[in-house]
Amino acid sequence: MFRKILIANRGEIALRVLCACRELGVSTVAVYSEADRNALHVRFADEAICIGPPRSSDSYLNIPQVISAAEIANVDAIHPGYGFLSENANFAEVCEASHITFIGPSPEVIRLMGEKDRARQEMAAAGLPIIPGSPGVVPDEDAARKSAEEIGYPLIIKASEGGGGRGMRIVREKRDLVASFQTARTEAEQAFGSPNVYMEKLIERPRHIEFQVLGDRHGSVVHLGERECSIQRRHQKLLEESPSPVVDAKVRKKMGDQVVEALAKIGYSSAGTVEFLREDSGKLYFIEMNARIQVEHPVTEMVTGVDLVKSQIRVAAGEKLADVVGPIEFRGHAIECRINAEDPDTFVPSPGRITAFRVPGGPGIRVDTACYADAVIPPYYDSLIAKIIAHGRDRSEAIARMRGALGGFVVEGVKTTIPLHKRILADPDFAAGKFDTHFIERSIAVSAK
Amino acid sequence: MRKKSSPQSEQEGHPRGVDLAEVEQLLAFMEKHGLEEFEYERDGIRVRLKKPSTHSQNATRAFALHDVHAAPGSSHTPAHGVPAASQAGVHGLSASAHVPEDLHVIKSPIVGTFYASASPGADPFVTVGAQVTSGQALCIIEAMKLMNEIESDVSGEIVKIFAENGQPVEYGEPLFGIRERDKK
Repeated sequence: MFRKILIANRGEIALRVLCACRELGVSTVAVYSEADRNALHVRFADEAICIGPPRSSDSYLNIPQVISAAEIANVDAIHPGYGFLSENANFAEVCEASHITFIGPSPEVIRLMGEKDRARQEMAAAGLPIIPGSPGVVPDEDAARKSAEEIGYPLIIKASEGGGGRGMRIVREKRDLVASFQTARTEAEQAFGSPNVYMEKLIERPRHIEFQVLGDRHGSVVHLGERECSIQRRHQKLLEESPSPVVDAKVRKKMGDQVVEALAKIGYSSAGTVEFLREDSGKLYFIEMNARIQVEHPVTEMVTGVDLVKSQIRVAAGEKLADVVGPIEFRGHAIECRINAEDPDTFVPSPGRITAFRVPGGPGIRVDTACYADAVIPPYYDSLIAKIIAHGRDRSEAIARMRGALGGFVVEGVKTTIPLHKRILADPDFAAGKFDTHFIERSIAVSAK
Repeated sequence: MRKKSSPQSEQEGHPRGVDLAEVEQLLAFMEKHGLEEFEYERDGIRVRLKKPSTHSQNATRAFALHDVHAAPGSSHTPAHGVPAASQAGVHGLSASAHVPEDLHVIKSPIVGTFYASASPGADPFVTVGAQVTSGQALCIIEAMKLMNEIESDVSGEIVKIFAENGQPVEYGEPLFGIRERDKK
């Protein structure tokens, strides 16, 4: 086991890693920016080193500063948390070159997963289903007709260089194909300076389902079931749960086994998440992999009883998966609500000083936070104030416990997403498990007006 | 906890029905007795007044640390006041409190190891009492095997050297105190 770990992060995840280190008897070094002088990770770590001014690019993202801090504190490993340097292959390489263990997968695997196109091809080759689409750019009408036959309808035409909805066309019937193809090319040319478009099967009412995995440095990989993360706004997850209301034991086993096989092939050796889109028919398509610990990892910890962060550290130290986790069993249902410092209706960030802070408790309630009364939410970083996790025997008990917890959570001084979560949990469609990634825009945002 | 009349009030910290004249009185009372912070509760209305601290950051920090509750790990006994110091000799707090007010302080722009001289055994770049000019090298900070010369940005006399040879320093840590020449 490591002697001393530097935590290259801030906020609740820095405290989460600190907790795991303490349990393992490993000493900790916090790094911080000038804006975080009063932060709890600085307060509770065994040592703390200021690494720069408030801006992330000058502090938490500044590789030379982080490595220098690791060297003067003489640590043997660095935990990157999520965000910041966690998926930076270059940083993982610099750690290796400095003889410091990077607690995560190898730089090669991080780099592969960072290149989304290449990752999809590799994972398809390793046996995971991907969304059917054209083989690259569709050059002309004939190629469009040919690809459309293979993909089937409805399909979507997207600009190769694009994003944000421009140069996108949904085609539901064969007779609209040519006209839509031409319009999409013209739009793409005007918006992005290139008429290149590609085609993909349209996933209607998609749900975001992801599998948690854990690999060791001896070639073993296990999965710890799925998480349902369809409650999002602007592609940002707000509420996550495990298990998914639409994944049964049979699907879990089938998909889980496929994921484990694919990741064993590429030599995945840490905690990670494989993300899928699920279409109405129940079919899952691989979209990307996050090669790090995730914000929503606690729901999996609650239903499996596995401490993912501690396990991540132990496998990084060379321990075998069989000794670290043993057989995985699922128990009950867990939900996480992300409480952000944001206006619950407009989603505009609301930084400032927290004047009152009271966290809920009770059976099955866990709160991960780095906030306290009189803490300041600086404008430089993400707006996460706390994560509330509710665990129950089944989904309805978890929902009931979460509603109670939200009612007992008091944050004054900044606006929070607590009222939004209360509306989500009171929604009959949510209670029935009937929702997709457009749920917030469709149901909640509208009813708020 | 009192019942909130609407969910919206949760988002605001304003006590309702506060008499402004009464607040004025309280402020005068604080002024009279030199109080920085004052909390007052009567008939279910709580007023908390706080003036900007004259001790700035250090005072805020001390206050904030004692105000921690309901956070993970809060059951952990706060055995040591300032977490940093200890083994690596890195200070969690800027030492600005010890700096005489009229000194210009050169702070470390990077994390690394402080060296007073260009090579082991060589004379230090500067000693206390030395006259330096703007742009003159004062020390070296080693970071990731690179030697970074730290230059003075003012001209004057070295009055204080905060760091010791070979000591690890963090970002923003004071290195030299200089009494500026020709300061208008």
